[in-house]
Amino acid sequence: MANKRSAFLLIWVITAVGCLYGFLKYASPKIFQILMAKDHPMPTPSTLMMWYMIMGVLAGLVYATTSNQKFVDFLSFLLPGHGPLIKSFLQKILFIGFPLLVGWFVYTWAIPGAASPVELRIQHPTLPQDFEKLENPFRQADAETQRKCIEEGKILFQTYCRPCHGSKADGNGPFANSFRLRPINFQDPGTIATVVDNYLFWRIKEGGPGLPSESTPWDSAMPSWKDDLKDDEVWKIIMGEYDTAGVMPRQREKLE
Amino acid sequence: MRNVLKKGFISFVFVGVCGGAFWIPNEVVAQSSLLFRTYKREVPQKLSETPEAVAEGKKVYEKRCWYCHGIEGKGDGPAAVTMFPKPRNFTRNEYKVRSTAFGSVPADEDLFRIITSGIEGTAMPFWSTITETERWQVLYYVKTFNDQFKKDAPPKVIPVGSVPSTPESIQRGQELFKEMKCYECHGEDGRGNGPLTVALQTEWSLPYRARDLTKGWNFKGGNTIEDIYRTISTGFNETPMGSYLEKLSDEDRWHVAHYVKSLAKDMASDVVVKVKLFEGEELPSEPLDENWSKASAVEIPLAGQILVSPRHWAPSIDAIQVRALYNNNEIAFLLEWDDATNRQEEIFRDAVSLQFPIKIPESLKKPYFAMGDSSGSVNLWSWKAHWQEGFGTVVEAPETEQGVVSELNAKGFKNVTVQPPESQNVTGKGMYQNGRWKAVLKRTLNTEDVKGDIQFEIGKLIPVAFAVWDGSNSDVGGQKSVSSWYYVSLEKPVPKTVFAYVLVALIMGASVEMWFIARLRRFPPKLEEEEQE
Repeated sequence: MANKRSAFLLIWVITAVGCLYGFLKYASPKIFQILMAKDHPMPTPSTLMMWYMIMGVLAGLVYATTSNQKFVDFLSFLLPGHGPLIKSFLQKILFIGFPLLVGWFVYTWAIPGAASPVELRIQHPTLPQDFEKLENPFRQADAETQRKCIEEGKILFQTYCRPCHGSKADGNGPFANSFRLRPINFQDPGTIATVVDNYLFWRIKEGGPGLPSESTPWDSAMPSWKDDLKDDEVWKIIMGEYDTAGVMPRQREKLE
Repeated sequence: MRNVLKKGFISFVFVGVCGGAFWIPNEVVAQSSLLFRTYKREVPQKLSETPEAVAEGKKVYEKRCWYCHGIEGKGDGPAAVTMFPKPRNFTRNEYKVRSTAFGSVPADEDLFRIITSGIEGTAMPFWSTITETERWQVLYYVKTFNDQFKKDAPPKVIPVGSVPSTPESIQRGQELFKEMKCYECHGEDGRGNGPLTVALQTEWSLPYRARDLTKGWNFKGGNTIEDIYRTISTGFNETPMGSYLEKLSDEDRWHVAHYVKSLAKDMASDVVVKVKLFEGEELPSEPLDENWSKASAVEIPLAGQILVSPRHWAPSIDAIQVRALYNNNEIAFLLEWDDATNRQEEIFRDAVSLQFPIKIPESLKKPYFAMGDSSGSVNLWSWKAHWQEGFGTVVEAPETEQGVVSELNAKGFKNVTVQPPESQNVTGKGMYQNGRWKAVLKRTLNTEDVKGDIQFEIGKLIPVAFAVWDGSNSDVGGQKSVSSWYYVSLEKPVPKTVFAYVLVALIMGASVEMWFIARLRRFPPKLEEEEQE
């Protein structure tokens, strides 16, 4: 009466759930590594994984109960009876496998797991008020002075910022790999191109220690340069930095 | 109806999977790979070397290159002061990565490849970001700095055949490494600590360092087997690394290359140093104790201390390996790092330090990773190599110098205090062998000085940071190599009760299953239509 495929419905459902697990666990991290162009796999978060697996099992059960015929096929697999040899073999595997699976769940739940650190931070905190009103004194200067300032700034950038932020301002300097919070890639249109240039003035002057606590100042390797560089030098570095990165600062909105 | 439901569910799951994609990037992913550079060997069609191309190249050079290499190509650009190794001086023929004979200038293709891929372990970035035309133009300009390029192009050294890497080949390579006296510079274990390197140091205007062949991430010409073969064959101009083209047969050079490749390791880094419970009676206190092999090793990258002045732009130590074990009473760390020499002076000493916050943080907040700050004090465990008059030659005996251990507190670089003698609880010893320092630091898990000392708790993530000083590089005080915050975690042992739980689960699982099947057999499922008949 029942064709071969529906006689093995239970096995097909289990296989489908198994495939879903395999996809989430192994295939998806690789796929997102390629899609997001990362140099490491992007593992599926464990809570998300749990929800997908619950949904997957439910979907399987719902499918099996969409008709009475299917439901009978689904359960009948467990009944003894004539069938191909493979059927009784799979039955035995299921019979032994189910308690082992339960045991495995209990084991993984009961062993003490190593916690992985949570390190959430806000990358672009609000600019402090003291720095809001500042103006870059060289932005209004004539073209020749500006050109000179950019060149002087580039020399300072290459001397002091390059070891971390890189010669190309791409966040790939020789020290870049050694700090867990990687130096910012200024070529990225989501970084210095989205802020006014006194934001950079604040970050260079105060560095990591000047960040608010939601931006985890204790992890930032950005030095505070206020004791070592003069204000003029910092403004020049900013101009040189934008030029090296090939982006422009965000323009202030005129209020009048 | 059934089809609709089926399709509905499939699309529901599909939408869910896609939705999940947007969640993933927000997760913190452990730093796994440290290398970002890809070496490209293919060189595209050459641009013709015309005066116009050179003129265009000058523009590129004066926009991007001169800051390091200097406006006249002498390697003396304004940014060179914060650099070691120093930028190439184009007026001399000190080209290292070449496919041409020793002493010759490189081929255009060699230069193109270096501009495209950069040089590992140096400040030279990969310029694959500019167009190929620009790269050809700038290299033609660079060639104008040295007249030797005007002569006929030197013949390239073409590899003849290759030998596959086998244990025998590596073995033969190791023998040749000895025969050819490679160890005189590169050291017996390849850590760049040979006696000749150390002796040559003062005779060169700049410290000259033989490559540490165990650090696969620092091979200047690339770390593929072909790159290593090429370097052995052609040598590095203006360095003691000569060409072995005539001294060794082609096959032998492949053997040596395979041996060198077998020494080169990647940096095996992790964010958490997992500390295992040690089953023996006493934690190991000797650096060479074989029990250390039971602890998992984590290698941590280090950078120069660039946070406060005086900043350290040219650190010589770029990695430290950490292992740790604990028992009911104590915790012990084994810290290992490569250093070409244990030469040091009274002030400039080889040293290492571990840094912890004084309390395990309860929130995200930690003290500043570099020596703490006014609102967050740190606890430092420091080990310093012993120094005495006349010490400074290479000491090969392992037991020679044990070093000095001290415990400190800091609230910033300028606020460092050594703990009073009654609070000094850390013990340890170090030794130097074959280009590598090994230091053990050990303390009880808990101390009486709860205000100044970290108190260890099992299962918690405890922030830790590292610093290393190299006396021969004039490291002292803030002149050191540092790391960001990492973590140590004392792993909870698996309690015996777990196995009881598992047994109960197995029995319960089996019982439920048997009950279900028994019931299924007694009341087999039937189609309603059949029942109605």
